Amino acid sequence: MKYLFIFFILGYSSFLWGKEASYGWDIPNSSINIGGYLDTTYDTKREEKFLFNDIALIFSANKNRFNLLGEVELSHISLNGKSNNRSDIDINLERLQLNYTLSDTQSIQIGRFNSDIGYWNQAPIPILQDTTTTPHIVGIFFPKATTGVLFRQDINEENSFSVTFQENKDIAHQDKSIQVNRHKALAYYGMHNDFSWRFSLGSYRESTNKKARYIGIGSGYDGEEFSIQTELFKQHSDKNDEKPYSGYIQSTWHFKEKQDATFRFESYEDNSLDIKEEIYLVGYTYRPTTNTALKGEYIHHSKLPLNHFVYSISVLF
Amino acid sequence: MLRVLLLLIFIRLELFSIELVVIGDKNFPENNLTRQEVRAIFLDKKRFINEKKILVMNHKVSHPLRQCFEKNILKKTKRSLERYWRKAYYQGKRPPKIVSSEEMLFLYLDGVSPSIGYSDINATIGREVTVLYRVECL
Repeated sequence: MKYLFIFFILGYSSFLWGKEASYGWDIPNSSINIGGYLDTTYDTKREEKFLFNDIALIFSANKNRFNLLGEVELSHISLNGKSNNRSDIDINLERLQLNYTLSDTQSIQIGRFNSDIGYWNQAPIPILQDTTTTPHIVGIFFPKATTGVLFRQDINEENSFSVTFQENKDIAHQDKSIQVNRHKALAYYGMHNDFSWRFSLGSYRESTNKKARYIGIGSGYDGEEFSIQTELFKQHSDKNDEKPYSGYIQSTWHFKEKQDATFRFESYEDNSLDIKEEIYLVGYTYRPTTNTALKGEYIHHSKLPLNHFVYSISVLF
Repeated sequence: MLRVLLLLIFIRLELFSIELVVIGDKNFPENNLTRQEVRAIFLDKKRFINEKKILVMNHKVSHPLRQCFEKNILKKTKRSLERYWRKAYYQGKRPPKIVSSEEMLFLYLDGVSPSIGYSDINATIGREVTVLYRVECL
């Protein structure tokens, strides 16, 4: 079954070789686009080694100043068809957001959306990243998703900021990340040619009533030969749960047209886990087409016994 | 000898250089755009101008001007553009509409306002378009 799937992906990829990259399917005579992504992983440390991590459907539509975007996902499906170790398939609403353009430089967004915090969280799926595994920051320092309102202001073509506000329950019923009923955040994003930088701060209250504040900075360089991304976050909460810092620097070397090598160094201190450690990652990515990625990586933890290899195939369709 | 060589280089540059112009429809609300503004429009970061949605058009990958446009105006390599559009699509953005020919580009520019694309300056002679930005392709 898994080999059949891999052959299908490779066949599909070779069919697309050399063509203009396409993103989803535009329904004729409408402004609706339907697409999605899937990714499968083989993890040497996991009990169920081979998993369909995500199978997701993305739909979008726009009319005048309105833009609708949705993402529905089936996650962690094993070869026996179970989702999250349960036999009933779990469908989760990842995003459902309606964006309204107020003016040339202002927009407002309501619904459930990826929190506009940091770099990684803007594109938190493997096909969009250089590695299959995510840095320790993701899903731990701030809510991955917000169900609320976001206001965005472009200062000019290269600088913008956003304000996020949530004071209600999360509309999704299941998430691996922090689930909140209050979230307030401010984020700034700037760029110049191949360089960019981000600054974020915010506070949230979890469904369990735990409260926390966070602050983070990040910067990126996306060049012809290599790219670098770095982020550093600090979270302040109850003393036992305090996360003094977590940061990473990730460099991807584009050594061949379709091949990349990635190195990541992370360091974090987490009082809730009572640990302070470093994580090292070395990975390789092969992209036979724009929308397909085959990856392999090794992750080494300095303290926790979590060293492992991960291999993945991901497709954006 | 040096003079002849310099003359030959000059003639070659003159013969093979093309002036790329970013063009809008004849009623395009602006007469000039900065490179940053053009870049923001073609990367779907700026969608509206004077409160109206802009139709943005790009040429096919094989079009001789596309590489010049990406290198000199977007300042991005093919690979970094691919990375950009993968992420942008996930965020609900769409790449520009691909036009299959110059004729098709001018057809849209004649019929839709505001609309924007790019072309060789010689192809715009006698056309009712607004030249918004110029760049030399060597």
